[in-house]
Order: sequence, then structure tokens, then C-alpha cells
Amino acid sequence: MENKFLIFIVVVLGVLALIQLVKVYEMTSKVTGDKSQENITPGENLSQAVLFLVFMFALFGGTIYLMLEYGNGGLGEAATEHGVMIDDLLVFNWWIILPVFFIMNGMLFIFPFLYRRDPKRKPVYLVHNNKLEMIWTTVPAIVLAGVIIYGLRTWNFIMNPEDEGTVIELYAKQFDWTARYSGEDNKLGKANFKLVTGTNPLGVITTEGIAESFETIDTEIDRLDSVLLANSIEKYIDNQKTTEYLLPDGKVAEMSEKIERLKRQKYRIKSGLEIERNADADDAMAANDVVVKGEMHLIVDKTYTFYFRSQDVLHCAWFPHFRAQMNCVPGMTTSFTLKPTITTKDMRLDEFVIDHYKNINTIHNERKRRIGEEEEVVDFDYILMCNKICGASHSNMQMKVVVETEAEYKNWIESQKRFDGGAVSYTIGAAATEELAQEIEE
Amino acid sequence: MSDHGHAAHHHKESFFTKYVFSQDHKMIAKQYLLTAIVMGIVGIALSALFRLQLGWPDEKFGIMETLLGSGWAPDGVLDSNMYLGLVTLHGTIMVFMVLTGGLSGTFSNLLIPLQIGARDMASGLLNMISYWLFFLSSSIMLASLFIESGPAMAGWTIYPPLSVLEETQPGSGLGMTLWLLSISIFIASALLGGINYIVTIINLRTKGMRMTRLPLSIWTFFVTAILGLLSFPVLLSSAVLLIMDRHMGTSFFLSDITTSNGALDQTGGSPVLFEHLFWFLGHPEVYIILLPALGISSEVIATNSRKPIFGYRAMIGSILAIGFLSFIVWGHHMFLTGMNPFLGGVFVFTTLLIAIPSAVKVFNYLTTLWKGNLVFTPAMLFSIGMVSTFISGGVTGIILADAALDISQHDTYFVVGHFHIVMGMSAILAMFAGVYHWFPKMYGRMMNKKLGFIHFWITITCGYGVFIPMHFLGEGGMPRRYYTNSEFPMFDHMIDLNVVISIFATVGVLSQLFFFWNFLYSALRGPKASQNPWRANTLEWTSPVEHMHGNWPGDLPVVHRWPYDYNKPGQAEDFVMQNVPLEPGEEEH
Ligand code: HEM
Ligand SMILES: [Cu+2]
Ligand SMILES: [Cu+2]
Repeated sequence: MENKFLIFIVVVLGVLALIQLVKVYEMTSKVTGDKSQENITPGENLSQAVLFLVFMFALFGGTIYLMLEYGNGGLGEAATEHGVMIDDLLVFNWWIILPVFFIMNGMLFIFPFLYRRDPKRKPVYLVHNNKLEMIWTTVPAIVLAGVIIYGLRTWNFIMNPEDEGTVIELYAKQFDWTARYSGEDNKLGKANFKLVTGTNPLGVITTEGIAESFETIDTEIDRLDSVLLANSIEKYIDNQKTTEYLLPDGKVAEMSEKIERLKRQKYRIKSGLEIERNADADDAMAANDVVVKGEMHLIVDKTYTFYFRSQDVLHCAWFPHFRAQMNCVPGMTTSFTLKPTITTKDMRLDEFVIDHYKNINTIHNERKRRIGEEEEVVDFDYILMCNKICGASHSNMQMKVVVETEAEYKNWIESQKRFDGGAVSYTIGAAATEELAQEIEE
Repeated sequence: MSDHGHAAHHHKESFFTKYVFSQDHKMIAKQYLLTAIVMGIVGIALSALFRLQLGWPDEKFGIMETLLGSGWAPDGVLDSNMYLGLVTLHGTIMVFMVLTGGLSGTFSNLLIPLQIGARDMASGLLNMISYWLFFLSSSIMLASLFIESGPAMAGWTIYPPLSVLEETQPGSGLGMTLWLLSISIFIASALLGGINYIVTIINLRTKGMRMTRLPLSIWTFFVTAILGLLSFPVLLSSAVLLIMDRHMGTSFFLSDITTSNGALDQTGGSPVLFEHLFWFLGHPEVYIILLPALGISSEVIATNSRKPIFGYRAMIGSILAIGFLSFIVWGHHMFLTGMNPFLGGVFVFTTLLIAIPSAVKVFNYLTTLWKGNLVFTPAMLFSIGMVSTFISGGVTGIILADAALDISQHDTYFVVGHFHIVMGMSAILAMFAGVYHWFPKMYGRMMNKKLGFIHFWITITCGYGVFIPMHFLGEGGMPRRYYTNSEFPMFDHMIDLNVVISIFATVGVLSQLFFFWNFLYSALRGPKASQNPWRANTLEWTSPVEHMHGNWPGDLPVVHRWPYDYNKPGQAEDFVMQNVPLEPGEEEH
């Protein structure tokens, strides 16, 4: 309400100001005649010069205020190994950028004041100066070389991890995330988009999954056929059998096309997926996968590699607290390796986070009261959100991420189901011993 | 229209050939400008609408329902699909219609013949066709706002598969078809215009106008036209491929997709291919917007500093370097598409290289101002503002160019803040500078300076007030293209920041009324301009105030010197126009 009022006031003031100005304008242009708009009077020139100074202070003041108030962004410290490196690099960049911002803008706004027109002073006729120009070509070049080298080292470190760690698939679709843990064998069962059905939303390739997709396809074909049949009349015109439909032509065409497409799909599954398959090995790989929705749990200080896939359009997995982001592209698998270093619990005990969430609770519940919803306590949580425009609910495509100790993780994962329906069993330390064994081997 | 009563001086023209299907570059420039202003009003009005949604997501706004209908804003609450539609059209209109068509169309057309001493463009006919295609394209884009299934909603980058599959988004039906049609026509217009500019600059320079005596504005228009000519066809071809994917069952950009319609037949393509094609245009595009802005500012700053532009040759070198480099950096928009990390590294390197010529330009502007005799015309204010936003927006580009940092900044509000300052604000400020500066040349009348001052100070304050805070939203992790941030309590501490941004945006949008009023009123009834109101050196100010076909009565002016002889030692006046012969013994510069 207040805000609406504010806008209203602004509009009214704006209109009033405009009317006044027009009056002044009419009068001045009549009184002073032709040249008045071409010459800037000394008074005007001075006032504009002063305004530049004033503006400089406002701009710098505002920026510094924002840096103090919002500078840490509210995300807290980076909660992954590489995230810390990114933050360090960011700080390094800011230390270069901010001085440039202040010094260059400072000169730009002080010069107007210093060098405002003075008929008594004759400007220098300065055409160029090779030495100066050399300096300000080479100095930025050297600084940028530093930025590039430091930046690329970080980038290469992040993008070429030594060790994959535990593999998890993140599957994006409009408008939610599904995580698939690779299970004991640390291998994800293969998947194909043609097998996606209601009961196999990720299209995982198993003997059962294929059978199921045939069933779904057949059922759908039957359904469409029967709809068409129910709405058709067979007629004999000139002794020729023709079928007429009670449905609009477009609808019939659409349905027939869909039937054709489903048949093709079935054929392709048969010829492409079923034949080349090593059924037992593939089934085994998929059997111990664990598919979860809504919430994903990770073990602290353990390396994970996420493999991203998308069902429909581009999405982008964005973990702000982990400083991790990667696009999810239909038809292609992308990946990102990270190692969370702080548990959700520890994060909630952090002083900054506690303070920050006190503030957030106040604001959050103020809003809840205002819009008449029930108040709630919000606490810190890691989150995965979508960061590539993907349609209507792009702004609410999220998944909670919990980072915890291995023991806590064991509890959680064992409450989930394996892909083949069996119970999950997780052995603490198994992964660690495996890693150790590998290291020794090397 | 404002020109009146002097058609009689020349051969007879009908109303239509003079004002509508004119082949005169000055009239075409004005047509471009007016169209751009209308599109600009729509573009910023759209941003004001969705800023209301972002600032006050829980309020109902009657105006939304009034403007968008109860389908898209039931009870005054904006629909989330329509939100994306508004963002998409805002971006598209601003980038293509206002700052590409509008900026180049207006100033290249107006200034190229006048500043190089030519009677008109090389081909008046192509020029006219170019404008009318632009008009048609703008009209189609506007029309797409009014169709039932809504305008294109996939963002101005129209990435497939979202832009291909109607079942994923209502805007990808007719709305996207109109978008593609509009942009294809737009590209045709831009290409015709570009060819014309290039040919004119190469062939029609008057006697004595060597390339190294061209004003920097012409240099930027020249390089801009070349960039457009090389990059727009790529966008056109990707639009054609997209159309084929949409309507003919091809799969250039589609693969392995399951939608509500089941598994699609199309396999083997890649959306990433589209991204490459799009950004191969998209990045040069930002320089297609920026270079003319820099060119305009160069002229205005030199004239009103009463001092030669510093480092003229370095400026040309920078323009050429920026133009060249802009073609090999497009990958910096795609670091996170699963691109080979080594390739990403290469793009980091090329991108950061661009910072060098950009820095040189800024240093040269500063040195031009240094110890000058600065006259603060409205155009000068806007040009200084432009240099400021070029600095402020440019520095954050260093962060985004760094692939490792892009991991935590990509597609957040940090990016929105960055590109609005460096591209949106810089170019808009320069466009205003150009209008204030060359208004006397266009309409033979003067704009009101006081309104100009007010317009400038409110615009730059609101511009910074909107876009600097956005960087902090981005540092807080807030993604762009979000209809609402209320689904994530972690963003709640930035609610007030969003309110502040929206207030600045509303005031900023409304303050443009100062400009519109000033523009319209002055065009019709402003005081008559004298021939060279800013005491500038370039040739356009040697042509008569009253427009005439052929620009100069009698012979074309002959050029004897570069355009920046301000306060040259030994000269009585503080400026020497380009057509004044060198005195015996005078060095050129
Ligand atoms: C009153 C001035 C303006 C305001 C308040 C404004 C605000 C915004 C906002 C809030 C967004 C949405 C960001 C997102 O969710 O991704 C946006 C997008 C955009 N704006 Fe502006 N803007 C303004 C002027 C301009 C100008 C002058 C340009 C010219 C370059 C421009 C170009 C764009 C582009 C290209 C996008 C991206 C559209 C997309 O994501 O598809 N805007 N603007
Ligand atoms: Cu998404
Ligand atoms: Cu770019």
C-alpha cells in the first residue's frame, strides 16, 4: 500500500514538474530569443560541473554502502573445496576492479569541475603522446596477464579433477530435479529417453524397463485406435470402403500421427536398444541405483561427480553455496566434480549464518503476515536451483541439499529404495577403503 | 513532421515521396529515430511492468490487468509465462529495435553523408527499403504482444528446445513464429543498411577526406556495418534452421527429448550448436551497439572539450581491434554448456584481450577532457555519462570473462547488472547525446537545454540506482529470468533491494517524459538553430540549416584538415572547420 502511494506521489510530482517546466520554457524561449539554447551560460556550466562532483559522491557513497550492507551476498563462505578457490579468485579480481572503478570514475567526474570552461584559459592542443599511450596499453596488458593466468589455473583445476569420487546423476525436467545415486558399484545404469514412462521417469535401461515401455506404448496405441474407431463411420461410396470421422480433421491427423510415432518408437527401441544390449550386466548396473526426489544428501569431505541430463529443454543446475553450476542439455551428458566441506549442521552453527537467518526470519514472516500465510521458521539449507530459463515454473525448480556425516548419510540412504525395489545397504568407510586401496595400487 | 514550408525550394515532391517513401538520408534518419523512440517507449514500459512484479510480488496492480488483459494478469497479478514474455520482448526490442536499428539507423544515415561530404547515401532506394523493412519488423514484433498465446517467452536468446516445442511454453507457438519472422526481416534491413553505409564511406568521400581525416563517428559506423554484415547472416541462418526444426521435423538443435507428447522423433542435433550460432552474432552484436555509441561520444566530447580528441590513431586502432576481437570471443557465453575446458580457456584469453583496446579508449577520453575547456551542453553531459557507464560496466566484465568466476556468476543478476550498465546504459546515454547534439541538424531547431540537464541527471541517477544494486543480488546467488524470488527464503534479505531497484526504475522510466516532451515540442516549436550551434569542425555544420536534397547548395565542401582542430595554436578562433584550407606553413596536426 505504501509503495503504491509512493508511486502515485512520484507520478503526480513528475507531471507537475513537467507542467511548470513547460511554462518556464515557453517564457524563456520568447524572452531570450534564438541563441539562448545554444549557449551554456557560465552559471549553468558551473552548476553542471558541481553536480558532477555531487554525483560522484552519491555514486561512490551508494556503492560503498551497498558493499558494506550486501557485499558478502548472504551466501556465506563457500562450502566446497573449489568454491573457496573461486571466492579467493573473486576477491583478487575485486581488488583490481574496485580501484579502477573508483579512480577512473573519480577522474571522469573531477575533471568536469577542474576544467569547466574558463574563457581566460587556453586548453593545450594535445594530439597524442606515444609514451603515455604505450604506458596505458602495456600496464593493462600486464595486469590482465595476471588475471588470466590466475583465472585459468583455477579453471583448469576445477574442470580437470583427478578423481571422480562418487557418481550421482541429476536429471532435470520441467519443473523438478531427480537425483540418481549410482549405488555400491558406483556405476549408473544406462538410460535412454525413449524409455521414459510414468514409472520409469529417467528412462533407465533394464529388461523390465524395456518391457514396461512396450506395454505403455501398446496401451497408448490401443487407446488412440479405439478413440478413432469409436468416432469413425465406415461408408461404401461407389463400392469403395472409406472411413469418415466424427472428429475434426486436424484431430484425426494428430492422433494418427501419434500412433505412427509410437510405432516408430517401439521399433527403434527394439532395433536399437534391445539388440545391442548386454542384458545382465546392464540390469545389474541399474539395479543398485537409488532414485530420489525432493531432497538430496551428500557426505561431507567426499568427492562427488554429478552427471547432468535433461528430459525436455535446457536447464541449469546451480548450487549457489557450493559455487557450482552446469547446464543440463537434452541429448548430452555434462558433469561437474565437487567436494562439500561443511555440513548443513555446522553451517547453521556459523555465527554469520545465525545472524543472517535471524534477519531472514524477521523479513520472511513479516511478509507471511502481510499476505496472510502461516508463519514458519526458516533455517539455513543448501539448495539446488534451476538457472537456465525453462518455462513457467523456472523460478521454482528446486531441490534441497543436505550435507552430513557418513553415519547420518547411512541412515538416510538406507531409508530409500533401490532401483530394483530392494533395500539399500551402505557400508561406512567402504568408499574410503576402496580409495585407499586404489592409492596403494598406484 | 516538423520540416515545413521549404519543399518549394527544390524540385517538386509529393507528400508521400517526401515524408513517407523518402529516399533522402536525412528523412530516413528521422524516420529511424521516431520508430526507435516509439519502440523504446514500449521496451522500457515492459521493463517497468515486470519490475513492478519483481519489486512487489504480492501486490495486485490494476494497470497490469488493464494492459495485458485478464488472461495474462488475472486480478492484476502477472502470469509467470507472461512475465517471461515481457522480459523476452523487452530484451529483444531494446537490443535489436532500439539500439541496433535505431542507433545505427539514425546516426549512420544522418551523419555518414553529411560528415564525409556526400550528397546522399550510395543507394537511396536500398536505404528506403532498409527503413521500411525495419518498420515492418518492428510492427510484427509489437503485434506479437497482442496474440492470444502470448509473445515469444524463451528469452531474447531463444535457446531451443524451449523455443521449438510449443508444449513446453505457450510463447513458443505463434509468438515465436512472429519473433522469428520479425527478426529475419530485421536482419534483411540491417544488411541492406550495412552494405549502404560501407559503400558510401568507401566511395563517396569528398575531395580531401582521407580515411585518416574521418571523424571517429564515421569510423565506428564503418566498423559497425562490417561487423553486422559478417555476423547477422549467421543469426539469419540459425533462425532458418530453427524454423525448420519447428515446422519441418528436422533436428538441427534437438535430440533425445521427451515431452508431454512423448518421445520426439528428432535425434542427433544439439542445442549447443544453436548457442554457438547465436553468440557468433550475439557478441559482435554488443559491439554493433557499443561502437556507434563510442563514436558519437567521441565527437561530442572533442567538440565540447574544445580540444582535439586525444590519440586519434590509437582510437581508430582500438575500434578496429575491438571489431576484430569481437568475433573470437563468443564462447564466453557458453563456459558452462559442457564445453571442453581447454576451449573455455582460449575464450577467456581472447575475451580479456578486448579489455586492452577498451581501456585505451577510456584513457584517451579522460586525456581529452584533461585541461580542456569543458562546455556542459546536454549532449556533453550524456557523453561523459556514457564514458562513466562504459568504465563501470566494463570492469565487471573482467569477472564474467574469467571462466572460473563465471561458474558462480553465470546467469545471475550480476550479469543483468553488468550488461545493462555497459551496453544498455552506455548506448542509451550516447543515443541521447546524439539526439541532443544533432537535433539542430535534424530539425533545424534547438532542444531546451534545461530540460536536457534535468533529463540527464535523473536518467543517470536512476540508471545506476537500478543496475548497481543488481550486482549485489547476483552476488547473493539470485538467478535471472525468475518470475519471483519468493520461493526461496534465502533471498528474503534482498526484498528491500528489489523494492529500491523498482522505485528507481519507475522514476527513471517516467523521467523520460522530460525527453519526449522536449523532443516533440522542440521539433515543432523550438527556437530556430543557427548553422553551427556547437561551434564544431565537422562538415555537417557547413550545410544549410534548412534541409535540401544533395545537402549542399553548389559544390561539395573540400576537406583540408582533420576534424579536431580545436584551440589550435596560432588560430584566432577556438575551432577550425574541416573545409578551411591550411594556412601557409601550417602543419596539419
Ligand atoms: C528502464 C530501464 C531498464 C530496466 C528497469 C531494465 C530491467 C531489466 C530486467 C529486470 C531484466 C530481467 C532480467 C532477467 O530476469 O534476466 C531485463 C532484461 C533485459 N534487458 Fe533490460 N532494463 C532496462 C533497460 C534496458 C536497455 C536500455 C537495454 C538495452 C540493451 C536492455 C536490455 C535487456 C536485455 C537484453 C535483457 C535480457 C532479456 C532476456 O533475458 O531475455 N534493458 N531488463
Ligand atoms: Cu529449469
Ligand atoms: Cu559476449
